[in-house]
Amino acid sequence: MNQDKKSIKGIYLTDLAAKGGKYVATWCVQIPEIDYNSCIKCKLCQEYCPEGAITVSEDGSPKIDYRFCKGCGICDHECPKKAIKMKEIEGL
Amino acid sequence: MTQSGVMPGNKALAYGVKLARVEVIPAYPITPQTTVVEYLAEFIANGELDAEYIDSDGEHSCMAMAVGASMAGSRVFTSTSSQGLAYMHEVIAQAAGYRTPLLLGVVNRTLGWYWALGADYSDVMPELNLGWVVNFAESNQEVLDMSLQLYKVIEDYRVLLPAMMNLDGFYLSYSQEYVKIPDQQIVDEWLPPYKAPYSVDPTVSDKFPASFLPGPLHTTYRRLHEEVLEDSRSVIAEVDDDFAKVFGRWYGGLVEEYRTEEADALLITIGSMTTAARRAVDRLRSEGERVGLVKIRFLRPFPDVELRKIASKVKAIGVVDRMMLHGTRGGGVYHDTKAALYNAESRIPILGFVAGMGGEDIPEADMYLMARKTLKAAEQGHVEHEVEFVEHSYQEPPPPVPYDTPDPIYPGSDGCAGCGSSIIIRHVLKVLGKNTVVVNPPSCSTINYPSVVKVPWFVANFAAGAAYETGVYRSLKRKGKADVVYVASFAGDGGTADIGLQSLSGAAERGESIIWVCYDNEAYMNTGGQRSGSTPLYAATTTTPVRARLRGKQVRRKNLELIMAAHSIPYIATGSVAYIPDLEKKIQKAANVTRLGKGLAFIHVQQPCATGWYFPENRTVEMGRLAVQTGAWPLYEVEDGTLKLTIKPQELTSLAEYLKPQQRFKHLTDDQIEQLQKEIHENWESLLNLEVSGKFTGY
Repeated sequence: MNQDKKSIKGIYLTDLAAKGGKYVATWCVQIPEIDYNSCIKCKLCQEYCPEGAITVSEDGSPKIDYRFCKGCGICDHECPKKAIKMKEIEGL
Repeated sequence: MTQSGVMPGNKALAYGVKLARVEVIPAYPITPQTTVVEYLAEFIANGELDAEYIDSDGEHSCMAMAVGASMAGSRVFTSTSSQGLAYMHEVIAQAAGYRTPLLLGVVNRTLGWYWALGADYSDVMPELNLGWVVNFAESNQEVLDMSLQLYKVIEDYRVLLPAMMNLDGFYLSYSQEYVKIPDQQIVDEWLPPYKAPYSVDPTVSDKFPASFLPGPLHTTYRRLHEEVLEDSRSVIAEVDDDFAKVFGRWYGGLVEEYRTEEADALLITIGSMTTAARRAVDRLRSEGERVGLVKIRFLRPFPDVELRKIASKVKAIGVVDRMMLHGTRGGGVYHDTKAALYNAESRIPILGFVAGMGGEDIPEADMYLMARKTLKAAEQGHVEHEVEFVEHSYQEPPPPVPYDTPDPIYPGSDGCAGCGSSIIIRHVLKVLGKNTVVVNPPSCSTINYPSVVKVPWFVANFAAGAAYETGVYRSLKRKGKADVVYVASFAGDGGTADIGLQSLSGAAERGESIIWVCYDNEAYMNTGGQRSGSTPLYAATTTTPVRARLRGKQVRRKNLELIMAAHSIPYIATGSVAYIPDLEKKIQKAANVTRLGKGLAFIHVQQPCATGWYFPENRTVEMGRLAVQTGAWPLYEVEDGTLKLTIKPQELTSLAEYLKPQQRFKHLTDDQIEQLQKEIHENWESLLNLEVSGKFTGY
C-alpha cells in the first residue's frame, strides 16, 4: 500500500517523489524514425509531441524515447522537411 | 410482436423510457450513466421517440428541469450517477414535496472521497430518506420492466411520488444481457398517458402543490407523506401482479424470496450482486445447508413488515451492503434491517457485511463465505462480529519509469494517441514550473495526467473548479505565498462553459489571482463526446447526432472570451496547439498577472480531438493550425481590456479546409458551410474593429 509507518491512518497519499514516466510503447502500431541527414533541428517535433517522448540534445538534434511513444504520427505529419517517417512495427 | 435483443442495461432503460412515451428528457453526461441519454438522443433524432430533449448545463439544472416539466404535467425521465446525483440533492428533496411522479435512473457509482467509477450505493445513500420510491434492479430485463412498472406506480394518484430506479454501474449499465422488449401497443394500453391532477399550467388547473407549508403543519405533512409511501406498498404489489398478467414476468413486489423454504439462515442483498448470492445459496443447498436469500427490491418504502414475516422463520440473517454509513459501524441495508426486526417477536442474530465498494466484484465465493458465517451464527444463536468488511488483496501496478527531466511533467500519459490536451498541459506546466497547484475539474485530463505530473494536482467537483482554486489561493495568500505558488486550473469546456461557469464567474468578479486554463475540445469528451455549451453550430456529437430528424447541434456556442471580458479581468487569451511560442507567451503573461495579484487570468486553448472530432490522430496540430488560419479559432489576447490579435493571417483560408477532414462536420450542406464561413468573416471583422477601437467597456 501507498503508506509508510509515519503516514496518518486511512489517508491514501499521492507521493510526488515516487512518480516517473508512463511506459506506453505497447500502444504503438507504428513508430517514427528520424532521418538525421534531412533534419534541420527546428525542434517542432519536440514541441508538438503529446507524450514528451522527444528530447533535443545539446547539438539541437531530436531523439525519440520509444518507451513513451504512442505512434500518433504528429511528428511525422508536422516535420517541415519530412525527415520523420512512420514505420509499421514488424510482427504486429 | 415482442422483440428481443442482447443489450446493455443502459439501453434496456432507454427502451423502457421510449416505450413509456416519456415527454420530456433533461440530460447531462456522467459515467456510467451517459449512454442512457445518448440512446435517448438517438431515438429522438431517428424519429422513434417524440420528446423534448434538454441538454442541461449540470445535474442541478437537469433535475430542476425534470421537476419543472413534471409540475407542468409531462411524463419525465432523467438519469445520472454518483457525483451528479449528489449535485441534484436539494432538487431531489424538492421533487418529493412538489409530488412530481418523474423517474430518475440512477446508474450506481461510488460517491466522493476517492474518485472512482465503479458501482456501489454510496451515491444513492444520501438520497434514500427524502420521500422518494427507491427501486433496485438485478438484471437488464428487470431494468426495462421496472421502468414501465415504476411509471404506473408513481403516477397512481394514491402515490404521486418521484422514483429512483437503481442499476449498478458497469455490472448492469454496460453488461450485455438478453432482454425482451414488450410491444409498444400493449405498453400503450397498459400505461396510458400521464394526467397530472394539479398542473402549474393556469389554463388547465387553478391548484398546484404549494411551495410553503404553515409551520405547525410540517409534522402533519411528514406523517401524510409517510402514509403515502405506506400506500405505495400495495400499489407496487398490485402493479407487479398486473404486469405479470400482461407481460408474463413477475418480480415479487417489495422483496423477492429465493429458496427461503425451511431456511435457518438468510442472506439479504440488493441489486446485481444478488445473482452471485443465488449461486452461493444453490451451492450451499446442494451441500445440505438450510440457507436462503432475500432480495430487497425497494429500499424505500422499506419492506419492514415483509422482513419481519420472513425473519420469524429463520435463526440468523446476514446483510450484504455495498454502502457504508460511516460512524455507525455498518451499512445502510444492515441498519434498516436491524431496525425493522428490533420489535419482532423473537430477536435473532443479524450480521452485516460491507463488500464490493468502489465497484469491487462480490464473487460467488465471497457470498458463500458470508452465508457460511450467517449459518454459524444461526447455529450459535449469537454474533461474534456484528459487521465485517470483505476485503481483497491489491496488486500494485508496475512502477513508473525512472526519468530525469527539469520539466514538472514526465513523458507518457494515459491520453489518446495524438491528444491535443497532452500537448497543452506539457507547455502549461513547463512555463508555470514546479511551484504550481493544479485544480482539475473532471475531464479527460483527470485520467490522463495525474500519474505523470510532478506538481500537486487534485480533482475538483465539477461545478466548483474555480471555487477550489479560490480556497487554495486565499489560504496561500494568508500564508504569504501568493506570489510564490501559482494556482491554475486545467479544465475542459464543460467544466468551464457549462457546469463550472458560476464558480468561475464568482472568482473572476472577486478578483482572485488565479489562472484558469480551459482546454476546449468542444464537447464532453471524457464521457464520450456529448455536446457542450462550447460545441460549435451544426457539429455532430453523441447527444446531437445526425439522423433523419436532427442534423447536429442546432445552436451556437457561447463566447467565453466576451463572458470573461464582461468581468473586467486583467488577462484573457485564446491559444492553439499549433502556435506553441504564442501559447507559452500567453501562459507567462497569465502567470505574471496573477503573481502581481491583479486578478484572474483566463486562457482558452482549442484542443483538436481526433477521437471526438473524427480525424486521423496525426492531424491534431494541423487541425489547430487550420482553425487559426480559417478564422474559426482566432488567436488574440485582451490585456486590461485592450484586444490584440496575436496571430493575424494575411488572408483567411477557406473554412471548408478546416471542416472537411472532420467527420463531425461531414453532413454539412454547402449552404451551411457558406453560412458558417460568413459568420466567421463577420466575427473576424468585429475582432479587427475591436483591435482598433480601443478598450472593452467596463475596464
